[in-house]
Amino acid sequence: MRRSLSLLVVLGVACILVTTDCRKEASGNTIKIGVITSLTGNQAAFGQAHKAGYQIAMEEINAKGGIDGKPVELDIYDDQSKPDQAVQGVSKLVDQDHVKLILGAYSSESTRAIVPVVTQKQIPLIMPTAVADNVVETGSQWVFRICAGSGSFATATLDFLKNNGDPKTLAIIYENTNFGQANNKSMAAAAQAAGLNLVDSEAYQATSPDYKALLQRVKSKNPDAIYFASYLLDAGTLMRQSEQLNLNPKYYTSAGTGFAAAEFPSPEKGAGKFAEYTFSVSQWLPSAKWKGSQEFDEKYTKLVGTHPAYHGMEAYAVLQAGAEALKNAGAGATPTAIRDAIRNLNIAETPFGPVKFDARGQNAHPVLVTQIQGGKYKVVWPLDAAESKPIIPTPEWSKR
Amino acid sequence: MEWVYGNLQVILDGLMTGALYALIGMGMALIFGVMRIVNFAHGAFLMMGMYVTFVLYDRLHLSPYIGFLVAGGLLFVFGFLTYLLVLRPLPGQESFMVILVTMGLSLILVDASQLIFGADYHQINIPLQSTNIHLGPHIAMNAPWLVSFGIAIAMGSAMYWFVMHTMFGRAARAVAQNRYSAPLMGINVNRVQAMAFGMGAAAAGIAGALLLPLLYVFPEVGNQYRLKSFVMVVLGGMGSIQGAAMAGLVLGVVESLTSYYWGNEWAPVVDFVIFILVLSFRPSGIFGSQRA
Repeated sequence: MRRSLSLLVVLGVACILVTTDCRKEASGNTIKIGVITSLTGNQAAFGQAHKAGYQIAMEEINAKGGIDGKPVELDIYDDQSKPDQAVQGVSKLVDQDHVKLILGAYSSESTRAIVPVVTQKQIPLIMPTAVADNVVETGSQWVFRICAGSGSFATATLDFLKNNGDPKTLAIIYENTNFGQANNKSMAAAAQAAGLNLVDSEAYQATSPDYKALLQRVKSKNPDAIYFASYLLDAGTLMRQSEQLNLNPKYYTSAGTGFAAAEFPSPEKGAGKFAEYTFSVSQWLPSAKWKGSQEFDEKYTKLVGTHPAYHGMEAYAVLQAGAEALKNAGAGATPTAIRDAIRNLNIAETPFGPVKFDARGQNAHPVLVTQIQGGKYKVVWPLDAAESKPIIPTPEWSKR
Repeated sequence: MEWVYGNLQVILDGLMTGALYALIGMGMALIFGVMRIVNFAHGAFLMMGMYVTFVLYDRLHLSPYIGFLVAGGLLFVFGFLTYLLVLRPLPGQESFMVILVTMGLSLILVDASQLIFGADYHQINIPLQSTNIHLGPHIAMNAPWLVSFGIAIAMGSAMYWFVMHTMFGRAARAVAQNRYSAPLMGINVNRVQAMAFGMGAAAAGIAGALLLPLLYVFPEVGNQYRLKSFVMVVLGGMGSIQGAAMAGLVLGVVESLTSYYWGNEWAPVVDFVIFILVLSFRPSGIFGSQRA
């Protein structure tokens, strides 16, 4: 008797839980879009940039009346810079919060981790910042990437080098997660195709305090140019220790991210004076010639207090593109219809340049090359976008 | 000749890293030697020392080279109390239970740090970081590394002197030799063990403080150093603090040379290779006496 009573209680509680969950779905006053980014953890600086970009885009969309009259609401999940958390985030956003579109994640590692999950759950994903090319090479029909990938980074850098001094030897130093590995692979292949001699390729763990042995190895191979793939904290340590070891290649180039972060030239959070003269690829700069760039720069600076690097703009751009697709798909569209709407997008002019995704989900976004001059990022390549001449070769440490 | 200078730089860098390792290892060896406790919370003590120093720098602009004394003091008290309140009550101090308890303590400390400070990485930028000391045109040493090296050596030597030349040290060594006969000699075993645990924790905390200008602090920073301390205790001979110190220096240099010749990603592998080799061929360690 007692056992069947407790069984009834359990069933009753279960029913209540199930029905309350169902009831949550029917709150149709806002359009909820899922976002996964790294608000905490070692990529927090970039996640916060994302958050600011998303916020600015959301406010602009809602100021224009939202989507079909309903305001956009962001459901942001913090993956703590960990790929397994990003995967959990997809489950939470899709299964619990019932979003029909996800934007994110930040890092290539986390993004790569969620591609199979969104494919299996059949929810479209627009990627703002993941640079590793393997995120668009899985054959999944559900993923779209708005930024240029590691392959484009490599060709743009080599293009710049060939036309600005044509160095003969290259060393690659990269952090050992998906971002670094992808950029190493892309650059190694592109260098070979361009006839550049790759003398060294070094992986490192981003949480190590000491890269001097690694830098010593690279120094002994005497490369003309070094290509880094690093996040912010390791970028700072690498440049400081390069000075210490008197490592003087003619060019310090990089695959963006740490070397393109807004904080990188600052002495408190970045490498300060050790960042000077480094080159980086860039997806966007406040001085970019795309209409709306300056307005975004002003809004971002007012919101955050510093000028945006391209990560904030990428977040802004994917939300704008996603909102446009939702508008085209119409109210009550299924995730499949939303996915098709994204695929059919063809926006000629946005502050991030044109947006059109190919069959793989890749947007043909042009890559710029910048150099830090006087503590500021200046576009030096391609020539039609350049605002400054590059300073080459890089002055030796002892002569600065 | 460039070859010689390259290797010399690498070895010097390895020694500087090794000195920090040595301090951490000495703390672990002291705890293990006196109490046969495998302290899985050792990395967490290092992390706590780092956070204390970070907060002192962030709020009071106190240099880490003064803050380390505060970190050491706080961790000593914390270790002392942890031993008395958490570890001593365990019946018989059975090693399995002790391991579980220290592991649990480590989890609590790491997660508490995450709650208090967030999962963010925090770094400090002291002006000394831009100073490099050059010995001739080929060898350079970054000033904070040198200072941390110097303080680590000083603290390690102080610890060694304390254990060898004071009454407490003699009592600690007696307890290490024979825990059951020691009380017969009038030694307050509980107090000695609590102080030893406190000293071990303080060593880890000071090492953390010295590491702060060189790295950055985050809740799980201690984990890699915990692993290394096990290797050092084993390599140095169970419970020998001078052995652990030597082992620390050796580990630093070997890691640095491995990074130089095979690449940075092989350096952590070297720790485990040494661990396995020592356990297989000379389990009493390089400096340990052949005892059960």
